[in-house]
Amino acid sequence: MHRFLLIALCAVSFACQKSADRDALGGKKLTVALLPKSKGNAYFISCKKGADTAAKELGVDLIFDGPTDPDPAKQNEIVENWITLGVDVIAAACENKEGISTALRRARSAGIKVVTYDADALPDARDFFVNQATPEGIGQALMDEAAKQIGPEGEFAIITASLTAQNMIEWQRHIEAQRAAKYPGLKMVALRPCDDKKDLAQSEAANLLGAYPNLKLIMAICSPAVPGAAEAVKQAGKAGQVKVIGLGLPNENRAYVKEGVTQTVILWNTLDLGYLTVQAAVATAKGTLTSGATVLTAGRLGEIKVEGDQIVLGKPFAFTRENIDEFDF
Amino acid sequence: MNSARSRWRAVLLRHESVLLALLLAEILFFNVAGARFGSLNNAFDIVRHSVEIGLLALVLTPIILTGGIDLSLGSLLGLCAILFGKMWRDGGMPIELAAGCTLGIGALAGALNAALIAGLRLPALIVTLGTYSLFRGLAEAITRGVDTFTNFPPVLLALGQERFAGLPAQGWAFALIAAVVWLLVHRTTSGRAWRAIGFAPEGARYAGLPVTRRIASAYVLAGTVAALAAIIYTARVGQAKADAGTGYELLAITAVVLGGTSIFGGIGTVHGTLLGVAAIAVLNNGLVHARQPREVAGMLTGALLLIALTLSAAARGLGSRRG
Amino acid sequence: MSGQAGLLTRHFREFAVAAVLGILLLVLAAFAPAFFEWQPLLSRMTREAPVLVVACGIAPILIARQIDISVGSIFGVCSVAAGLLATEGWPVVLVAGASISMGAVLGGINGGFVAGLRLPSIVVTLATMVVWREALRWWRQGEFVNLPAGAQWFGHSQVTGQLLLVGTAGAVLVVLAWAAKNLSAGRFVYASGSDAEAARLAGLRPQLVTFWTFVVAGALCGLAAMMNLVQSPQVDPKSGAGLELRAIAAAVVGGVAVSGGRGTMWGVFLGLALLACVNPALTYLHVHAFWEKAIQGVIILLAVAADVRATEARARVRR
Repeated sequence: MHRFLLIALCAVSFACQKSADRDALGGKKLTVALLPKSKGNAYFISCKKGADTAAKELGVDLIFDGPTDPDPAKQNEIVENWITLGVDVIAAACENKEGISTALRRARSAGIKVVTYDADALPDARDFFVNQATPEGIGQALMDEAAKQIGPEGEFAIITASLTAQNMIEWQRHIEAQRAAKYPGLKMVALRPCDDKKDLAQSEAANLLGAYPNLKLIMAICSPAVPGAAEAVKQAGKAGQVKVIGLGLPNENRAYVKEGVTQTVILWNTLDLGYLTVQAAVATAKGTLTSGATVLTAGRLGEIKVEGDQIVLGKPFAFTRENIDEFDF
Repeated sequence: MNSARSRWRAVLLRHESVLLALLLAEILFFNVAGARFGSLNNAFDIVRHSVEIGLLALVLTPIILTGGIDLSLGSLLGLCAILFGKMWRDGGMPIELAAGCTLGIGALAGALNAALIAGLRLPALIVTLGTYSLFRGLAEAITRGVDTFTNFPPVLLALGQERFAGLPAQGWAFALIAAVVWLLVHRTTSGRAWRAIGFAPEGARYAGLPVTRRIASAYVLAGTVAALAAIIYTARVGQAKADAGTGYELLAITAVVLGGTSIFGGIGTVHGTLLGVAAIAVLNNGLVHARQPREVAGMLTGALLLIALTLSAAARGLGSRRG
Repeated sequence: MSGQAGLLTRHFREFAVAAVLGILLLVLAAFAPAFFEWQPLLSRMTREAPVLVVACGIAPILIARQIDISVGSIFGVCSVAAGLLATEGWPVVLVAGASISMGAVLGGINGGFVAGLRLPSIVVTLATMVVWREALRWWRQGEFVNLPAGAQWFGHSQVTGQLLLVGTAGAVLVVLAWAAKNLSAGRFVYASGSDAEAARLAGLRPQLVTFWTFVVAGALCGLAAMMNLVQSPQVDPKSGAGLELRAIAAAVVGGVAVSGGRGTMWGVFLGLALLACVNPALTYLHVHAFWEKAIQGVIILLAVAADVRATEARARVRR
């Protein structure tokens, strides 16, 4: 009996083959495929919100899909699925620079335009990189803020998501470069990962507070770690004594910033980032944004400067007690 | 004894036929739901994306047949991937030599599991839980978490990304390993021994089977093939990182059990495993074409596993082997 | 005299783990005495209290020769559901009750498949783990649940709350340890795990016992979720990821045999204490973070390898 089914399987496969000539997406609507570093990450969800707005304004279809587990190959698989699906342009936030470039290059040779956002791929694998701020800018902003909070001398610790996350590694490099250049009196005493989990960040921060009694500041560079570290500092009774800064979303940190446990949260407007990404993606797909352009007209954001192949949103923005209520994401 | 055997055979046949029918149904459904699903390109995508997990599922089959399990294969994939990169980049080895050494390391790691499980008779679940942590931990320690290996020579990348005689290159490697494992399990005395050990370990011992050696060989084989999967993975992605292969062992176990192999040991086929791998791969790929969120694929896979088990149990009726 | 030797041999594992833990604590006392400052120590114990509760819940399942790898997902679902109920204005006590009940129901689903349909527990709980985890992910998309102000520490001060939580974990440990020894139900679990067929012939109902161990484990997950929830003003839907491995590792290192029939709650406690000390010990000793997984893997393997003598002795007795 199952031999019959095996033959039926082959017949069905052949039948399916013929119908592949049909156009995959039908109609004239452009399709933008947006790839976050991982799904279920509040940061990328807020980027998506901005992206949705732009997609609606421009009248394009937006597909949003991302890996749900940390295996590095997953992003590649999603991109390859999209190549087969026949999307018009892919906008990717790259977890593994070299790894995903493999898949993105293939997309380009299949005629699909590629832009990256938030975290870049290799330059030959994409047309443009929509950067919220350069890694140097981010690293410097963090280090400068740390110095502003605790002065030119002292110990600080960094909590990151995982030791292998590429863009965090880059930020750390720039933090260290800025520290060595401008604040040699500040020492980074520890670097702990929190697996992108708030609870683990809280435990790690609590341990750091105990293990390094002279610690003056915790720098949390992955967004769940900022409220986690803040809670640990608060529970240890060291609010104000040990400063907390980091890269995080205003909504997750509002309470701590207002209480004075967290001094500053640095980020950029993620809604704008998503919005700009889709604007750039559509412009690239339509051919209105080509290499050599110096400016991109991006809907409600107005005219954005284009430097080479980088489209920079702006500088990192510092959310403090004074201004955090103006933002909702 | 004969009627019991034919009863088991009937059950097996039934399970695989159901799985095959399910696979057909998936293919038909997704062909309607997604326009480009049925294309040759997509078929190649499916093959390319499922080779590593498929390899792990293939070598898990003998292990599970013996009543054991191996949770460390995904971590071993990650460890072998970075050691492969390290030997080539920092050790200056030619890529072929690095690949050969990686296979050796995989075999050694498998031998560690084998020594503890077959030699010291420790429970496989816990030993491989320990090596699951240990291998991943070593990978993170060696790379200090941050180091990655890339810019591999084209001859390696071709293995993961190019086509060979019309099919994706790694597909041929997979087909070869599948054929070898199938022969081992279904046509050699090793395969019979694995089944017998799974059915009744003490009985197998009394029957004079070299139980320790057979169990050990299953784990060493698994380690070696995991190393091969690591090489293919690196070739496909073009990068070797410490967290490569995270979660692969659970997917592989799902495929094996879906394919009809009993987790208690003694019953199971390699073609069942292949069908299990195909069913899951097609499901994951098809849902993307049907524009469904990724989480749905996970939930459906879990639900599918439960349904498959329940149906099998219903077919089996009474007479479970363990409480 | 022989009674004393009997105690040591019978509980060799527990003593060995206690010894290793003792050595680790001595090393810390020598090189990083800050480890023992009471306030951070209490905080650390409070953070591990939910894990202890889950590990105590998993131990009976392992002793009954089953396994449950879905406890992390059950924990996550209960955490988020309880958090949402709290934001709806439910009083904390009712939220706790709801969390425990939900955990019991999810545990009951596992138990139904395993005990009722006689399906292998590792595969059933693998399937339910994936289903609940993906469903939770789909539902929340990574968004935190912001708890109302009165929820943290059940509305008490921090120290009171922490002592309350540590006390609850201790109470669960003591009750289960007592039940394992003195309640018939407790002895049934050991009997089912040692030899299900013999237990059945002796008039026990192994399937029923198995079912209830899953329900209890689920309920304890719900309790643990609640205990974790009151420790901070936000619920992360990712909480609970990896919990099952920590709980199983703690139980196994502490002497619970995966082949069933053996293990004590005190062993679970010691195993958890040892494994939970690794991470903070590395921080206090200023050792790099990336050694953690390797060290834990080695501890698990050593713990299991140390079973060799015991396993062989038992195997010989069985023949």
